[in-house]
Amino acid sequence: MTPAQGTRPKHFLPKGTELVAPPTRIKVFGSLLLALALNLSPWVDSVRWLVPDFAFMVLLYWNIRAPWFAGLGMAFVLGLIADVDRGLHMGLSSLAYCLATFLVLSLQRRLENFDAFSQGLQVAPMLLGKDALVLVLGFWFGHHSIDWRWLAAGVVSALLWPLLAWLLDVLTGHASKPQPD
Amino acid sequence: MSQPPKNPLFSREMGLSARFGLYVLASLVIAGVEARYDVLHSVRVGVNGLLGPVRVTLARPWEWLREAGDFFVIHGALQAENRRLRQEREHLLAYQLDRQALQAENRHLRASLELPRPPGVTPIHAEIMQTAPDPFMHRVIINRGSTQGLAAGWPVIDGAGLVGQVTRVFAFTAEVTLLTDKDQGAPVMNMRNGLRLIVSGTGTQNLLEVRFLGMHADIKAGDWLYTSGIDGVYPMGIPVAKVMNTSQAHGAPFIQAQCRPLGGVGRYRQLTVLRPAPASPVEKP
Repeated sequence: MTPAQGTRPKHFLPKGTELVAPPTRIKVFGSLLLALALNLSPWVDSVRWLVPDFAFMVLLYWNIRAPWFAGLGMAFVLGLIADVDRGLHMGLSSLAYCLATFLVLSLQRRLENFDAFSQGLQVAPMLLGKDALVLVLGFWFGHHSIDWRWLAAGVVSALLWPLLAWLLDVLTGHASKPQPD
Repeated sequence: MSQPPKNPLFSREMGLSARFGLYVLASLVIAGVEARYDVLHSVRVGVNGLLGPVRVTLARPWEWLREAGDFFVIHGALQAENRRLRQEREHLLAYQLDRQALQAENRHLRASLELPRPPGVTPIHAEIMQTAPDPFMHRVIINRGSTQGLAAGWPVIDGAGLVGQVTRVFAFTAEVTLLTDKDQGAPVMNMRNGLRLIVSGTGTQNLLEVRFLGMHADIKAGDWLYTSGIDGVYPMGIPVAKVMNTSQAHGAPFIQAQCRPLGGVGRYRQLTVLRPAPASPVEKP
């Protein structure tokens, strides 16, 4: 394939856009399935509330790196799966996922040029806000006993973001991007 | 890559905000329907039917690991356990004899008083697969579902006492809402004096409470609370909780009693679901 394909238009990204291994459908869907499998795994009860929502993190990553594969529709479907998996009130997670994806897609051009760590700082509000939004919406829809401990999962996922972003960057060749000088 | 990326600035589809609005609307409609009606339950059952096998497959490696770990238990530990179990069995046999005598007497007394027989229950054994990762409720998923004939509303116990109630049934799994859930309650009876109460969850792991007791209610620390069986959901005589202390909130005209659940709520893996006796109208004496 030609280098021009699979990259953003030249004037938006002045440097280092040639990817060694650009994101493909298989990579995007494969990593999302793997993340879903992590979510569905039998975690020990005592740490269950600390386990981040891996599918959500991977979704946001692909929102930044490959928005043409992972957009709002994907967020909606993943949200519904998360609702059923967690036994939550249906529609809460899909709304939260869609909002986060919308924010990330609006900031996508800005976010994609940061390295994994600074990206993590900017994505952190979405990661923390998703759980908070689900809890608040749940309260609004009449679930009045809320275990606020579950907000901790957002903190853990914000801490894990650099690692995850780095891993997926390696997968898509972003990590080997030449440093701009 | 099979297709070149679309340029979002000049694409001919709806703008990002418009699509976002549509998806938000869809989510809110789904949430609203879920809050009011029961139609989404079948969707939930369907999706859960797909997720269930995946969950089982993912849990398999861990089960293998645990079984492998169990295999290397020391011989001495097994012997000690065997000895302990033998003693326990003797103990239970003696207890059983006593119980049989009491049951015979109870039958006789009931017959002489012409009281209807208490409805019988059939136990269905189940195992906890996982705790539902739900910030709003205390729930576990068990490995029995509608295929095994489960239905929502049935009580769930373990060897020590009441654990909770089946609230949602899927094809091969079911959700059990634990007694410690804030919205879960059970009608109980104080064993000491027959006082009927309602014990409810507090939302914390190991605490139940009796809310809104009259000021002069006869309940004190050390009392045992058993199901009273008057609600028709829980059969009579399942141990539920032991009263730890009673307190009066400042300025409130009620007293509250804090209780410790007797059933291993959130402790054991093996549970028993009680299938109520097939509905037979109680004959009026």
